[in-house]
Amino acid sequence: MDHATLVFASVFPVPSLSHTTPTPIATPNLGYTEPGASFGSPYAADAGGTQRRTVLRNLAWSTATRFLSLPKDLDKAPRRIKRPPDVEEALDYLLVGEGTGREHEEGIADWYANEVRLHFANHVRQGLAEAWDKDIELSNAWHVLEDTQRVLDQMQNLYRQPFYAHILPFVEQAAANITIRAGRSTDNLEAETVGAAKRKFEREIHAVFAHSLPVERFSKTLSYVLYDAACKLFRLQVRLDDVAHAVPEHIDTKKVRRRMMVLLVGLNRVGLGQDEAQRALANAMDKLLDAYIASHYLKVDWYSKQSVTAQLRVWIENGFVPLAELVLECLKCDPASIPTLQRKQWQEMALTRLGRARVENLFDFVTNWDQSLGAILDLKEYLRLDGGKEHLKGSFSRQVSRRLLHPGATTTYILNVYIYIIRAFNKLEPKGVILQSVARPIRRYLKEREDTARTIISSLLIDLNDEASVKAASTGELSFEIASEMAKPFTHAEDADDEASWNDLSWQPPPYDASPEYKKSKVEDVIFFLLTLWDRDDFINELKNILGDHLLKCQDPEFQKEIRLLELIKIRLGEDNLQACEVMLRDVLESRRINETIRQAGDRPQNQPPQTPETLGPRTPRPRRAAPSTPPAKPLPGPALNAQILSSFFWPILRDETFRVPAEIESLQQDYESRFERIKGMRKLRWMNALGDSRITLEFDDRTEEFDHLTPWQVSVVYAFQPQPGEEKTGKGKGKAKSEGITRNAEQLEEILEMDETLLHQALAFWVGKSVLREVSPHTYAVIERLDSSTKDSDAAAAAQEIAEVQAAQSTTVKSQADLLNERKDVYMSFITGMLTNQGNMPVVRVLMMMRMMVQGGFPFGAEEVRALLGEMEAAGKVVRLGGDVWGIGK
Amino acid sequence: MALSTGARTNGSSATVAQRLQKELMDIMMKPTPGITAFPDDENMTRWTATIDGPSSTPYENLVFKLSMEFGATYPYAPPTVLFKTPIYHPNVDFSGRICLDILKDKWSAVYNIGTVLLSLQSLLGEPNNSSPLNGQAAELWDKDMAEFKRLVLARHKTPEELDAAGL
Repeated sequence: MDHATLVFASVFPVPSLSHTTPTPIATPNLGYTEPGASFGSPYAADAGGTQRRTVLRNLAWSTATRFLSLPKDLDKAPRRIKRPPDVEEALDYLLVGEGTGREHEEGIADWYANEVRLHFANHVRQGLAEAWDKDIELSNAWHVLEDTQRVLDQMQNLYRQPFYAHILPFVEQAAANITIRAGRSTDNLEAETVGAAKRKFEREIHAVFAHSLPVERFSKTLSYVLYDAACKLFRLQVRLDDVAHAVPEHIDTKKVRRRMMVLLVGLNRVGLGQDEAQRALANAMDKLLDAYIASHYLKVDWYSKQSVTAQLRVWIENGFVPLAELVLECLKCDPASIPTLQRKQWQEMALTRLGRARVENLFDFVTNWDQSLGAILDLKEYLRLDGGKEHLKGSFSRQVSRRLLHPGATTTYILNVYIYIIRAFNKLEPKGVILQSVARPIRRYLKEREDTARTIISSLLIDLNDEASVKAASTGELSFEIASEMAKPFTHAEDADDEASWNDLSWQPPPYDASPEYKKSKVEDVIFFLLTLWDRDDFINELKNILGDHLLKCQDPEFQKEIRLLELIKIRLGEDNLQACEVMLRDVLESRRINETIRQAGDRPQNQPPQTPETLGPRTPRPRRAAPSTPPAKPLPGPALNAQILSSFFWPILRDETFRVPAEIESLQQDYESRFERIKGMRKLRWMNALGDSRITLEFDDRTEEFDHLTPWQVSVVYAFQPQPGEEKTGKGKGKAKSEGITRNAEQLEEILEMDETLLHQALAFWVGKSVLREVSPHTYAVIERLDSSTKDSDAAAAAQEIAEVQAAQSTTVKSQADLLNERKDVYMSFITGMLTNQGNMPVVRVLMMMRMMVQGGFPFGAEEVRALLGEMEAAGKVVRLGGDVWGIGK
Repeated sequence: MALSTGARTNGSSATVAQRLQKELMDIMMKPTPGITAFPDDENMTRWTATIDGPSSTPYENLVFKLSMEFGATYPYAPPTVLFKTPIYHPNVDFSGRICLDILKDKWSAVYNIGTVLLSLQSLLGEPNNSSPLNGQAAELWDKDMAEFKRLVLARHKTPEELDAAGL
């Protein structure tokens, strides 16, 4: 509408100019005659006044609505400040005068609101819908919201203007009239009426606006915008980098803050700051808390090992709560400040989330003890909160069973982790209730592992200052942690029973969540936990075995470490039942003394002519029950002998292969024996030749070599290559012309030495590996008197050495599993025979089960071994395989 | 090396089980030819034994299965021993019950499974015809060995046949 038209129209109302549909000038509705009334003049039935009012009202209505109707391009239309007189009259009539809406009649204000609604729906909504109908990209969220806000704000102003300019004054006047009429000259009422009208109109507009946007999407978008703003704000405020959000480095927080505030205030102005916005705020704060904990806080304090909970609390108080308050203020919510109780709840919520985040990785923290002290301290606070303990226990137990208690983990690893767990949980909860419950499955699992006891006890014997054993520990066979625990000074706790002590003023009841068998361990000592894995007796038995092995191998003549270990174990387990170990220790110590005594006595008369180039070093056969000896440093021309005298009753079962030791040694043994019997009142010695430790020097034509730490059978084998009295005697160095010396074959050797075949071959392989012997033809060996440069020997030597090393690794002084199986094979076979004969055919599994149950002393083997036994018996025709894994007795 | 966590149950049944386990071990360490015995399950109180018929008797080349049941007072009371394989013998009735003094009043705690089975094996060759449970058999033993032998073979069943019969 151009200006001219408008001017014209203001004087001569032109209905056609109106774009909307104001009420047309029409024949007044004269009403109907009442049913049953006679047809007559329309004025007949009613009072003439009513009719007339209707006509007048319609006219006024038409004029007013035409004036107030909203043009399409509202923003471009000029503002009409002045009302033409007819409109003035009409509005006055409608709002102040007789034409005010009675019941069932539409008021002009309502009509205008409706007009706004229609206008908005027809002309504005379309534009908004374009932006809101599809998903809103995060990067666009700010813009979309801001644009929307701007458009709505503008529309609101445009809609408001006619209302404020043309309707409100009349409402005010009407209110004033009423006031006068009522005789109450209070401005209050007047203002109230106007305010109510205003509020009603605003509500209408806001409802229109709110309904034009998709509720969910709007809420989500706003939520994101708030979250984004908060992230940007805090990243500088807290001075921590938030890597998760790739926000450019320098952000003007003030700008962000202002932008957010402007948006929020604007949204609130157009009525979008109500429930939806608050919900969005709640959402955003929730996410913010998570993001905050996940980003900055997840950084466990690895360096200063401090808890970060204090920081978190400060942030909630000084960062989180003020932000929430700011937003609420912008949204003009009623209580704009957060009550103290709520703050406390928020802090707890934050701590809970932090705790949960920590618990998720607790296993890693535990394995990285004690760098992870900070994380553990964080959890300490979490435990105080509701449900914290249960969650921690449950979650950690799951982690442990998934990540630790599986066949892939070595026993050493499990033990180490267990130690870390003990340490970490002691810190976490000194009362030990949680430790007890999370450790239970680990302890149970460790008990099932076969090598647990061995690992623990062997680890206890590691010398931290000794490089060799430290190396052994680093290979993963032994637990270094246990060793270092053992090295710690041990404070012996008072054994007094706290429960019964009336004088204990610091007595406290056990924790409420403690299990019935809970007993506060007075010792926060890791070794204590490890030693209590088993029944004491079982543990001591195992200790005996390992200590025995260790003592025999030990090089330290003073046995200081072993003495110390035994003392420590005594303190922890009590003295009784450890006599056997004490006896073992005393045996080795005493042997040293006896050796000295006997040697002194023997030096004078004993005179061994150094007739052989191969001088046997100290041989250590074992008296009464075997004794390896420490090599004496004396480089005697003749062999020297030290013995370890072991009280067989107290020692575990030791290797006891028999074979002939070299004659010289034999005579030394006899000599030793007789002296011993003299000293010890006719007590008998039984030599255990398989144990022992020797040093020899071998002289060849072209070289002399020394060997240390040899086993007796190795020495015996090489000694057998000495020329026998009947053999060709080539003087001191035999076979000078040839590079090969004495030749022997395996059968011969077996006969001479009365030695077990396996042992013999092991020894032969050893010497081949050392380039002392050479296999000249299958099972025939010769001494290499001259080393020539041919690589053949060295190749063979290398190969043989490998074999020898493998074999040596397998041989221990205490019997190995395979030895045990071999030794008891007959018994096991007769078990199987008896079982199959009497109980009928059985599958291997059942045989194994029966063996485990029936064999006294246990059957420490698996299905594989049973199958091997059955296979052997099948070969002997004793049993038959009936298909599958089922076996029966042979006919 | 696993630490044995021996299940320790209290009461006399534990000692009986221990004693029986030891006996089992002894039998396995020094098996007697022609005699085997083995527990039926882990509680050790029921066993099955197998004895071979002694040579140069009517029972030669025959295999007999027996069941043994040990009460809570074993070894102070004899075990209950029954022939599971049907046997024709003067001192065994048709349901397998045995008349043998050491299984009754002459029992002594020094006997064990091995000795009981050995006694039963020799009983096969030397029946005590003065107190027969099977009068006909006692009579035939003395009078008509051929008929006796025929009846022995007629009554005997191999373990496989027993299994097939579901016994």
